[in-house]
Parts: sequence; C-alpha cells; structure tokens
Amino acid sequence: MNYELNDDQAGILAGLDQLLAAHAGGPSGEPENFFYGAALDTALAESGFLDIARIDGFGPLDAALVVERLARLPQVVEAAASALIAPLLPLEPGERPLALVSGDATRPARFLPVARHLLVLRQNDALLVSMEGTSIEPVESLMAYPYGRLDSLNGLSAQTLANAVDIRRRWRIALAAEAAGCMAAALDTVIEHVRTRQAFGRPLGAFQAIQHRLAMAAETAESAKWLAFRAAWSDGEADAAIAAGFVQERIARFTYDLHQFSGAMGLTLEFPLHLWTYRLRALAGELGGASMQARAAAQAVWGVA
Amino acid sequence: MSESIDAFRQRARSWLEANVPAEKTPLEGKPLRDYVLAWQQTQARGGWAGLAWPKEHGGCGLSVLELIVWFEEYARAKAPPVLDASFVGLNHAGPTLIACGTEEQKAFHLPQLLEGRAIWCQGFSEPGSGSDLASLRTRGVVDGDHLVVNGQKIWTSFADTADWQELLVRTDPDAKTSGALSWVICPMDTPGITVRPIQTMAGAHKYCEVFYDDVRIPLSNVVGGLNNGWATAMATLGFERGTASLGIIIANALKVDEMLGDCPASRPQMRARLSQLRVEAAAARAMAYRLALDSEEGVPDARGSMVRLAFAELAQRISAAAIDLYGIASPQVAGYHGWGHEYLDAFSETIAGGTAEIQRNIIGERVLGLPRGPR
Repeated sequence: MNYELNDDQAGILAGLDQLLAAHAGGPSGEPENFFYGAALDTALAESGFLDIARIDGFGPLDAALVVERLARLPQVVEAAASALIAPLLPLEPGERPLALVSGDATRPARFLPVARHLLVLRQNDALLVSMEGTSIEPVESLMAYPYGRLDSLNGLSAQTLANAVDIRRRWRIALAAEAAGCMAAALDTVIEHVRTRQAFGRPLGAFQAIQHRLAMAAETAESAKWLAFRAAWSDGEADAAIAAGFVQERIARFTYDLHQFSGAMGLTLEFPLHLWTYRLRALAGELGGASMQARAAAQAVWGVA
Repeated sequence: MSESIDAFRQRARSWLEANVPAEKTPLEGKPLRDYVLAWQQTQARGGWAGLAWPKEHGGCGLSVLELIVWFEEYARAKAPPVLDASFVGLNHAGPTLIACGTEEQKAFHLPQLLEGRAIWCQGFSEPGSGSDLASLRTRGVVDGDHLVVNGQKIWTSFADTADWQELLVRTDPDAKTSGALSWVICPMDTPGITVRPIQTMAGAHKYCEVFYDDVRIPLSNVVGGLNNGWATAMATLGFERGTASLGIIIANALKVDEMLGDCPASRPQMRARLSQLRVEAAAARAMAYRLALDSEEGVPDARGSMVRLAFAELAQRISAAAIDLYGIASPQVAGYHGWGHEYLDAFSETIAGGTAEIQRNIIGERVLGLPRGPR
C-alpha cells in the first residue's frame, strides 16, 4: 500500500472539498443531538462521489477516502453504506440512502427514516428490503444518527442475497473509515479548545497530564485512519476485521478523554464535540462490537475463532 | 440502650420498602423539584432527614457505621438518586450553615432543608473559573447594608428551580484568595438574576448559566464573615466526612451485580469484563468505607480524592459495559432512565466537583507527599 495519495485520489478529495465548501458551517438554531445534512445529501447524490467505487480504475480505497472525509463534517449524511456496500448489491448508482442492520430486521437501524433500502445482514445471507411506500417507526435515540425501526418484514419486497461475507467485510471497512473521520474531527475540536482555554494562568494544553492523553488519542486516530485505508485497499477479511475491531476497541477511551479535556462545556450540546462522539459510540456497537471483530480477525489470520 | 446495628438495618430496610416512591425521578424542571421535595418530606416524616447532621440542628446524628448501613439499604431499595436537586442543600449548604452560619441563618434555613421546603443550588464555577476556582471574577460590592453582585456563574445544577444559592463572589479584588471572597446566601428570586438552562448531551437541562445584574443581597446573608468565603467554602468539606458518595458507590456495585445476572453464559468475555468491574466496585467500596470510618472523629484527609477518582472512573466503565452488554438499541439502554442516558451523564463524573486531573494532583501532592507541580 502506498501511503501517498495518487493524482486521481488527490483530485477526488479536492473536488469533494470544493463541494463541501458550499455546505460549510455548523448547525444553526437550537443545539440538537445531531444535525442531518439533507441539502448536503442531495448534493452528494448528484455529484457521484458516493458511486466512486463503481467507476473503472477506482475502488473501495477511493470510496473510503470519501467516507473518511465526509465523517469529519458536523452534519451527518448516509455515505459509508452507499459508497462501500451498495456496489455489491443489485442497486443502480444513486439508489440510496441505504440503511444497515445485522441479525434481526426489526432492530433499530441508522438512517432508516430516510433510506430507500434496508440491508439486513444475517449469518449466512442478506436481505435487501425496499422501503418504497413504507412508514417507519422512528426511534428516539441519544446517538447522533436518525434511527428508525421496522415493525416487521410482512408485506415488504425483499430480495435474498448470498454474498453475506462480502457485505460484512465491506461493512467493517465502512465503519472503520467513518469512525476514523469522526475521530479526526473530534480530536481537532479538542486540540483547538485546549490551545485557547486557560486554567491556572496558562492554556490547558500546556499541562503534561493533558498532553500525554491527547498524544495517545492522536495515536488512536492516526492508527484508525491508516488501518481503515489499508483494509479498503486490500479489501481483505483480516484487514477489515482488524480495522473495525481496533477502532471499536479504542472508542470508549478516546471519547472519554476528549470530553474530559473539554470540561463541562464538552458535556453540553452547545459544544460540537458530541456530533462526532455520539456517532463513534453508535459505531462501537455495530456488528457485535470489538470482540466479534477480534474473533473474525483471528479466524482470517490464523484460522482460529 | 442504643439500638444494635442489625436492628438499625432492619428498621431502615422496613421503612424504605414501605416508602420508596414507585415512580422514577422526572427529568428536569418543576416536576423534578416537586418529586425531590416530596421525597425529602417523606423522609422527614419518617425520621430520616439530615442523616449526618447533628441532632441539635434537627438531624439524625447517625454514626458513620449507621450511615453506611443506611446507604446500603437505600441502594438495595432503589430509592431516588442521592445526587439530585436536594444534594447541594443537604450535603453542602446545610452543613456550611451549621459550621459557619449565624443563629438567625440556621434557624431560618435548616428546618426548610430538612423538611423538604427549599431547593438550593451552588454558584461557584464561572466560565473562566472551573478547576481554577480561586480565579473567579463575579464581584460583590458593599453598598450600605447590601452586597451588589455583578457577574456570571455556570454549571449551576437546578438553578432554574432553586430557591436559594450558595454564591461565592469576589468582595476584595486586591486581596489574596484567602481574604478576597465571600460566601453569601442568594435568594434566586432577587431582581437582576437571569437563569439560562443549558441542554446537556445527556438530554436534560441539568445545568444552568446564572447572570447577575446589580443583584442586591442583604449583608446579613453573608456566611462566615465578609472576605472570609474561601474558608467558609472549605469548612464544608470537613463536615461531609466522605460519606456523601457512599450511596453512589454502593448503588454502582449493585448495578454490576444485576448486569452479571443478565449476562448469558455464551458471552464469556463480557462475563469476565463485568466480573472485573465487580471487583473494582468492591475495591472502591472498601476504600470508601475505610475512609468514612477513619473520619468519624476528625476531618477527612486527601484520601477522599482517591475515593472520588476511583468511583468516578468506575461509573464510566460500568455504563460503557452496560451498553455493550445490552446493545445500543435495547430497552435497557433507550430512554431517559436507560443506560444510554447514564453513559452520557457519566462523562460529568470526572469533571464535576474537581476534575480527575485535580484529584490526581491532590493525591500526588497531599497523599504521596510529592513536590507540588506547576500550576
């Protein structure tokens, strides 16, 4: 794997940044748990950035670069599943947003209230459920995504897919890339805070106790990013499980430290940190959490569960 | 003849079983205030108000051992959380008045607190003064027989429904901290006070900002003497005897027990994680008991910071484990009484009342006797 962006990748990200510049700025009005970027979602759908992996000469790594960049935004949009998983499904480009749920189809799923399809990943197969004309039971959640839940699959058009292994692998890559972007943005927010916030006559960031733990947080964020990109590059079972497992295992420590150094301000919705840490907390529990990814990695690397 | 500790436990258990409210604590605002006051009134009627307060001030005058037993039974009965709208009044303001207040102040305020007729809030932290409390800037200027207060406080829990505030203001801008501040009883309905609730990430309007614009408070409301507020604020710590956190520590251990019961045998890693948390809860509890019993006759020492640090970080690990155990979308996690709320609320454990970093400094310098680091 080459750690430098090639010209195409640099061009993709430059183009994406140009599009995002028109949607810069955080949420306005009353602070909320999350900020759904409806206008950004439309612009992304029209731009084709989320279909990058379908284009000849491009692939999951390019999609992961886009997902990581989008996850740094304060607003949330469904990008990871569209960019990394949808190309494996019998869906046309632009047939999105795509909601994901593993196991029971009636579990709450991120983005379901806005999704055109729900992908239900089961042990050995998957169901692609069309949400056309379906009303979704909204789920109240403190986590930073729009959540929804199906009452049942009765009466819905569903297609059974055999490629559960591929879907699960891409889901791991998608969550690793999204989490890496959330970590980068959250860390930037807190670094800025400790640079400027004063206590005992100097910036908080001048205290070693804080520097050391933020250094560890930076190590986590950096490792998460490169593991995610490596997994997207190889599109391999072991890399995907390692990337997802690593970031899921680190999320609790990472988010606690970042909130800690934001002080009481970081406990309010007026400070933007929660826009990323709430997402991280939700991602930490997906696909069975860190221990399940660790087992999958052991299986892929050594053939032992 | 005094009651045996076993008999005391039985009496506490029976009373709690019969009187703990079935309804959960409301989230915020007036419903929360009414609930907290009603529960305090119930405890007062049952003879359980002011457990640690001396009898001559209307309290129960319980021994530390009795307090421990009470909190064990309190947690077992799933009684309302102790760290709620009544906490500042019963564990902070009241004890401060007992230690430093005038006879008039005590006669007026203490019965109101014990009988569940008043809610207090704390006005210490400011936007620029959190961990570094001594740098606070809210000013109090003597004008005749009043103190005129201007400035801003923040992170004041329950200011939106409180009747009184323990307010720390700078009354001598030229003096060192020990002679610069005053601790004053501020009636929250005084003209010039504006309260703005802050939406926390855990969902509730738990904290508030309070703005003071030429707020006139009678000088007779100063507690412990003008410009002596730092000593007044510190005096409270000597009264708490490290027992205020017992209820929380014991409740946490019981929660881990429940989680262990809910963890299926098919999840050995989760069982191991929960078992480890149960061990840590036992350790925090043992340390808290030891400290509380040691402080029966004296002032608690800096080891209180070890207890505070242990249970604060443990509470965060427990709530994180609960989400992993039950799943983020489970009924146990959803809603304002679920673990999701508790998980987010637990972030404040290592910030409120002295950050984990400040506690570590105190342990390093005062317990271990290490040289003082740069501030």
